[in-house]
Amino acid sequence: MKTILLALASETWKGFMITWSYKFNNLMSMVSMSFIFLGINYMIGNGQLNPEAMSSTLLGYLTWFYAITAIENMSWNLRDEMQCGQLEQLYMSPAPAQVMIGGRALSTLIVTTIQVVIMATVMGLVFGLRFPMRIEGLPVFALTLLGLYGFGYALGGATLVFKQTGPLSNLLTNALLFINGSFLPVDRLPDWLQTAAKILPSTQGIVVMRNVILGNQSLGDAWLDGSLPLLVIHTALFFTAGWLVYRACEGVAKRKGTLGQY
Amino acid sequence: MSLAIEARSLSKSYPKRNAPPVIAVNDVSLAIPAGQVFAFLGPNGAGKTTTIKMMCGLITPDSGSTLLNGFDSTHQHFKAMSQIGVVLEGTRNVYWRLNAWENLMYFGRIKGLGGARLKARAEQFLRDLDLWDRRKDLVNEFSRGMQQKVSIACALIHDPPIVLLDEPTLGLDVQSSRTVKSWVSKLAREEGKTIVLTTHQLDMAEALCDRVAIMNKGRLVANQPVSELLNVFRQEYYQITLRGRLNSNRPEWLHGLKIDEEEGETTLTGAIAGQDALHTLLDGLYSLGLPLLEAKRIDPNLEDIFVRLTGVESNGAPATNRSSSV
Repeated sequence: MKTILLALASETWKGFMITWSYKFNNLMSMVSMSFIFLGINYMIGNGQLNPEAMSSTLLGYLTWFYAITAIENMSWNLRDEMQCGQLEQLYMSPAPAQVMIGGRALSTLIVTTIQVVIMATVMGLVFGLRFPMRIEGLPVFALTLLGLYGFGYALGGATLVFKQTGPLSNLLTNALLFINGSFLPVDRLPDWLQTAAKILPSTQGIVVMRNVILGNQSLGDAWLDGSLPLLVIHTALFFTAGWLVYRACEGVAKRKGTLGQY
Repeated sequence: MSLAIEARSLSKSYPKRNAPPVIAVNDVSLAIPAGQVFAFLGPNGAGKTTTIKMMCGLITPDSGSTLLNGFDSTHQHFKAMSQIGVVLEGTRNVYWRLNAWENLMYFGRIKGLGGARLKARAEQFLRDLDLWDRRKDLVNEFSRGMQQKVSIACALIHDPPIVLLDEPTLGLDVQSSRTVKSWVSKLAREEGKTIVLTTHQLDMAEALCDRVAIMNKGRLVANQPVSELLNVFRQEYYQITLRGRLNSNRPEWLHGLKIDEEEGETTLTGAIAGQDALHTLLDGLYSLGLPLLEAKRIDPNLEDIFVRLTGVESNGAPATNRSSSV
């Protein structure tokens, strides 16, 4: 247990240190993310920035931001480590590799939260944007993230086997942005696209978060109307499936002898 | 004597589309006693790295198993991993965006070491390897030799009883290579660690190792103490000196012998299996009309034996001037 906790803490700490070493890149990423958000809202508002409407879209946008960092962490970073040989070192640790990858997810989560707080503060000060917050939203947000990280695990597994999953990551992050209900309600999409949108890991989370955080719905009501149980099922499925896919792909990579190859 | 590593019938093949599978490792068994320095030799593609990776649990064997200090590397993976420190071939076993100290802290912790003991060991390693003054520099600012030193330190930070080094001196300059060699020697002689290394530097293997295994095309073709291996082949190595030079059209029966021509003399060196073959060769040379100056038995080195068993030079080139018999 001590080994696992030490490994988890160490992996989280390493994530911070490496993120810090890329300070400039991260700063630029925050600036560009803010510009994309403002640009889309400018278009949606027909050339106007409406702080009230922006607060609503911000919730979906931030969820998307968490989603892309989870996906990048599990695909690009894993691929880099595979290419550079550190992944094999990770697999020779006396702690399970999944724990280490969990530690990495934790550091990504904390770093992303810090970035989100900075971006929201700056946009609040400059544009009068209200950052939507309600304590009941936290468990909903946590469930949404868990599903997203499950999705990330599946993608990480695919990266272990197929290596070049960059284009797939791009496709998925774009799909998440445009059809997960961040900017356009899912029910306004064509029927076939609605089906695809509802399968994505963040869509149901955004629906429940909007109701709970912006609509002041209680968690009890969200449970009774079926939206929260659906999110729980979604998250459980995504996390379990993602974990199983990762483990299966890990086995394939070890059998093919390609764990450290790119 | 207890065994540090016991590999039992390891085999691995890789399927190929529209072709028969490539057999990377074929029924390799090894028993390495604790405290020995063991070298894995073989030409490129012989299966050395695949064997080492199967021992570490990074590649799942088709059949066979490996025990590391009694722990099965597949079924008791985590216990087995606490027994080993591994530096794999390649330039980046460590994080280049972290400094040397941070790398040691990170790898120490993921291997279960923490607190004052980790810091003390990290300091000791960095001082021993002359990196203490540069401990806060990012590893990407280091030379190749310094990066390799950090890699080895990270692999050993948790004080494992077994150390696996895949080409530890590959790409290093002479000075760095010497430092690594002396460190390997110190680990073995002073700390009693079991060390398995793969290398193309046969002089290094001869100087440092108690035992060598030679692999070729996935199979073990030799696995003996260095002294015994040299002894086996000692009976068969000859050096024959002739006055004059050979024609450019060399007879086919000379193929396989190392031929040096210098200052009007020709020296033939190589393995000659038995007295009959030696006399046949001398008769053949007599027919060429070159006076015999000397014929003597010589001690082969590991390089000669390697070439004899694998048919290639240690640098990977085909052994064009040598053969296994005459």
